[in-house]
Amino acid sequence: MSDIAPKYKGSMLRPLKALSFLFREPATLPMRPRPAAKVYRGFHLNDWEKCVGCATCQQICDNDAIRMVHIPALPSDPAKGIRPRRPAIDYGRCCWCALCVDICPTGSLSMSREYIHVSRDVDSYFILPDEEGMHGVRYPQGWAKDENADLLDLKRQEMPEEPPQERADNFSEICEGYDPQTAMLEASRCIQCGMCHDACPAHMHAPEYIRAIFEGDFEKSVAEIYRTNPFPQVCGRVCTHRCETACSIGKRGEPVAIRWLKRAAVDNVPQDRTIAIALKDKAKTKTGKRVAIAGAGPAGLTAAFDLAKLGHEVTVYEEKPRPGGMMRYGIPEYRLPYERIDADIAVIEAAGVKIRCNTKLGRDVTMAQLKGQADAVLLSTGLNKGRSTRIPGSDHPQVRAAVDLLARITLGEAFDIPASAVVIGGGNVAFDIARSLARLQRRAFGKVEVTVLALEERDKMLADEEEVIESAQEGVKLINGRGPKQVVIEGDALKGLETVKCLSIFDEQGRFHPRYDETDVMFHPAQMVIEAIGQMSDVSFLGEDLTEQLEWSRGRIRIDEAGRTSVPWLWAAGDLVKGPDVISAIATGHAAAASIHAALMGETEAREAK
Amino acid sequence: MPRHGEGHESAHDKLKRAQTLEEILETALGFEATARDFYAELAGRVSKPLRELVEELAEEEKEHYRLFSELKANPDIAGALKELVERPAEDHRFSDFIQKPDLGEAPDDQAILQYALAREDAAAKQYAALAQSTPEGPVRDLFTHLAKEELAHKAELEKRYYEIVHSGGV
Amino acid sequence: MTTPQVPDPATLAPSEEYDLYFGPNHPGIEGNYSVRVRLKGDVICQAVADGGYLHRGFEKIMEDRLWVQNIALVPRICVPDPVPMEESYARAVEMIGGLEVPLRAQWIRVLMLELSRICAHLFTFGGNAATIGLYTNMFWGVTMRDLFLDIFEEITGARIYHIYITPGGVRRDLPEGVLERIEALLVELEERMPQFEDLFFNNAVVIDRATGTGRMSAEEALAWGVTGPNLRATGVASDVRRDDPYLVYPQVDFDIVTETGGDALARMMVRKGEVVQAVKIVRQAIAALRKVGGPVRCELPNPLAWDLPAGDAYARTESSKGELGFYIVSNGGPRPYRVHVRGASSMHAVQVLEKLLVGSRIEDVAQIMFSLDACPPEVDR
Repeated sequence: MSDIAPKYKGSMLRPLKALSFLFREPATLPMRPRPAAKVYRGFHLNDWEKCVGCATCQQICDNDAIRMVHIPALPSDPAKGIRPRRPAIDYGRCCWCALCVDICPTGSLSMSREYIHVSRDVDSYFILPDEEGMHGVRYPQGWAKDENADLLDLKRQEMPEEPPQERADNFSEICEGYDPQTAMLEASRCIQCGMCHDACPAHMHAPEYIRAIFEGDFEKSVAEIYRTNPFPQVCGRVCTHRCETACSIGKRGEPVAIRWLKRAAVDNVPQDRTIAIALKDKAKTKTGKRVAIAGAGPAGLTAAFDLAKLGHEVTVYEEKPRPGGMMRYGIPEYRLPYERIDADIAVIEAAGVKIRCNTKLGRDVTMAQLKGQADAVLLSTGLNKGRSTRIPGSDHPQVRAAVDLLARITLGEAFDIPASAVVIGGGNVAFDIARSLARLQRRAFGKVEVTVLALEERDKMLADEEEVIESAQEGVKLINGRGPKQVVIEGDALKGLETVKCLSIFDEQGRFHPRYDETDVMFHPAQMVIEAIGQMSDVSFLGEDLTEQLEWSRGRIRIDEAGRTSVPWLWAAGDLVKGPDVISAIATGHAAAASIHAALMGETEAREAK
Repeated sequence: MPRHGEGHESAHDKLKRAQTLEEILETALGFEATARDFYAELAGRVSKPLRELVEELAEEEKEHYRLFSELKANPDIAGALKELVERPAEDHRFSDFIQKPDLGEAPDDQAILQYALAREDAAAKQYAALAQSTPEGPVRDLFTHLAKEELAHKAELEKRYYEIVHSGGV
Repeated sequence: MTTPQVPDPATLAPSEEYDLYFGPNHPGIEGNYSVRVRLKGDVICQAVADGGYLHRGFEKIMEDRLWVQNIALVPRICVPDPVPMEESYARAVEMIGGLEVPLRAQWIRVLMLELSRICAHLFTFGGNAATIGLYTNMFWGVTMRDLFLDIFEEITGARIYHIYITPGGVRRDLPEGVLERIEALLVELEERMPQFEDLFFNNAVVIDRATGTGRMSAEEALAWGVTGPNLRATGVASDVRRDDPYLVYPQVDFDIVTETGGDALARMMVRKGEVVQAVKIVRQAIAALRKVGGPVRCELPNPLAWDLPAGDAYARTESSKGELGFYIVSNGGPRPYRVHVRGASSMHAVQVLEKLLVGSRIEDVAQIMFSLDACPPEVDR
């Protein structure tokens, strides 16, 4: 050390520099844990009210640290997309990356500012996070859902539509559909949680068909669709989309467009390929059994398709000139073009189903005849009659049922188009007839004079929001909160409708029980009053004996869960038993077909066993 | 005049003449019994799908009969009535706009319910009118109570009517 | 790397040489690593680097994770200086996917990289000093670093494994007031630097020990694949930020610090200079972030449904240890087909260390390793 350069040795006083540290604050870390930063990634918190048990956190976790735990006491509501499960996290595996927080669709997961856990008990490192925090001390929130960090795409791809001025006087289809690229982009939003599958009445394999679209394999998507639904063209346009109501992405953003994706899949596969895919699992041999189905609506035709694929001989009897039921005769063309219905039905006919139109049960063929020529009979005649308010004056010829008029429009039967009309009702049927009439009026008179009178307030309407918005764009007026009082007739002519103010709709128990203020009366001039308040079925074709033989419940034929009636050869499906909507009809059609098949094959097996 | 012989005028007079609470209840019980028998007979005439509905209506009248019997058997009717008339009934005024139909040969479910509603409404109005024209006291309380019961029954029927007629029967 | 054989001493001829297993628990080893040295007296005549203690299988694991999931893995590849890992991974993915990082995010990334560089060097000052027996410096370095970790905690939610830089940008915007706090911290650091000078860089003991220790020439360094401060200490002005600029470095004004000694002292001096330069860059980043707004991440698809186009890319970053590169191959799917990490210390800790140790003394082993800033986690991965 003697050869240290003087400049490094420094002066003799150099050590005194250390004195400058004498009064300096030492950098000491306190024993107590210091509070963490505002975005600290500490122990997890989970808001059990917001959490729906979708398990997306489990999917994104790098380290398989998350497991879903089933907790029976929690609410379970498949229709709303709520599962009774919550994530449990293994802190032996978790790396606190917070990807689970960033991807959580509901935003229920977050991380707290707590970071200390010391224990010899290994099991204590496996936690079920809730809002209280790991040790119940309610540390403040750290890393939580943030606009920048959010990993989900909350906005839906827009559906291109015909603008009002182009569509107001014709029935051409309004929604143009997704092209393949847009469909793939929309499909990529799906996080595969499966809530849609649970909510669908037919339990469609939606996550699978969406994934196939994302992969660009539209044929695979069609195959997944046909596992549960022989009406993709129809449902892809007009289904009530319970799936989208349950969609986890829809909790904070716009739900994945599951319905439009179904349409995109089947629109982008040629018809002959669709038929080949749909009939892939058709039985090679016939069973020798015959099934007669009354009503070529979605329920009847779904059951027919299933049974024909299983090898049975199926004949469907339909009173109208073309098959389709409410799909064709209830839903206007601008929502569901007839050729799309034809395309779906063509696939069903390709399975070997025979459809006899213009054949009315009770008039052209009797129940006894059906029973004679079939081993099983399925009734799926639907709710083909409209209900009437039966207010005074409602028996005037210009007071019509919406379902009747809609059928006439489809049949091409002319009727005197009224220059002005009011529609009683606030559901989809009311808007269907209102918008159809608006188009006819625009063609006939150049202007629209249709008013929809709904009991409900604007924000609680039963009709789809798009119907209300689009109808307004087409010139249809809407008056909320009014109930019908009486039809005003002068001499022979219908002058209009008197309504009273509806003060409330639901009672304290939430039951439908409107309350009126009869002093608040309004007069609505009109040449036609159309009632769209509800529907009923006409099963007089059953005849007295069969009616007595059957068991009834609440005015409907009593059935078991699969649709079998108390009469062993008779089943029922569709609007007669559930709904009313297309996907429920399809679901009941499947159930009835499975039950019929089991019954028919069971008989054969029993006979063969003897 | 309605079929079951319960003419508005004669019923009113009957009730006006009644002096004691027991007598009033006796008359009211008579009305309930008539209604119950009417529905029971109707049940045998309608087609099977409607039988359940009509039988339920008969059951409800039977239940009313039972309630009024219990009240009549109560030694302190006046005291019991005081509590019962505490909460005023709410009239939704819905059935004002429905005509009471002629049931005819083969009424449907809507017609049957309209008929029942009209009957309940008439009864409620009748008791209410009687309450109005009676001085304060246990008799007035009884009429108020009876009006309330009919109104409550009417409300139940209104809900059932809506469920069946206005939503496709679902 | 051959595992040295352990012969039975009885069978050996008498010798003045003996084998010493240096590490992995030795305090003179940076991280879990070992060097098998053969000594003759106090002088090393042969050295074999023996790593692997920190092999966690990153490259293979990453093949089984989605593109977004991998951001949680990469910072752990180098513990003292995790940010270049996140940056290189993100940039390689961006290169393959054609993603454009918004301007504000680029400045934030530069801020994070330079702050991380400062942290890593402060750590190394301490480590380097400890190998020479000056432990006070270690506490000073770590303490100063701790204050910077507070800033990281504030910005990213974690002190060391930030998991903050993601393909497309960064995960969150800066919190309110953090720029002021960074400025205050830089001032504090600048006040500290003279003290570091006094205690360490101007210290006779240090000068004596470090001069000439582990010397390599510029030719040797280039031949051995040396990068970073180790290379710059031999006089070669090579820096990825200048040679292959990324982010907004072209707009940033800074000098490349070089020394000519090529020994441990030179390497230390280069690092000291880099801290000063890093402070300069951070100040420019702060000024820019006060002006540049906008998003901090470009639009990304749903991570569960994100197929990156097929292709490959090599993204390199100047980390505190040298050129840190990520080579990623995508075969058009949701996961990488292959990820290879060029750890900057891969050369330093293995072949360079073995070569430099020969002829040096036993007490200098730790010093040489620390002066090379050989970081075993990024060697083993």
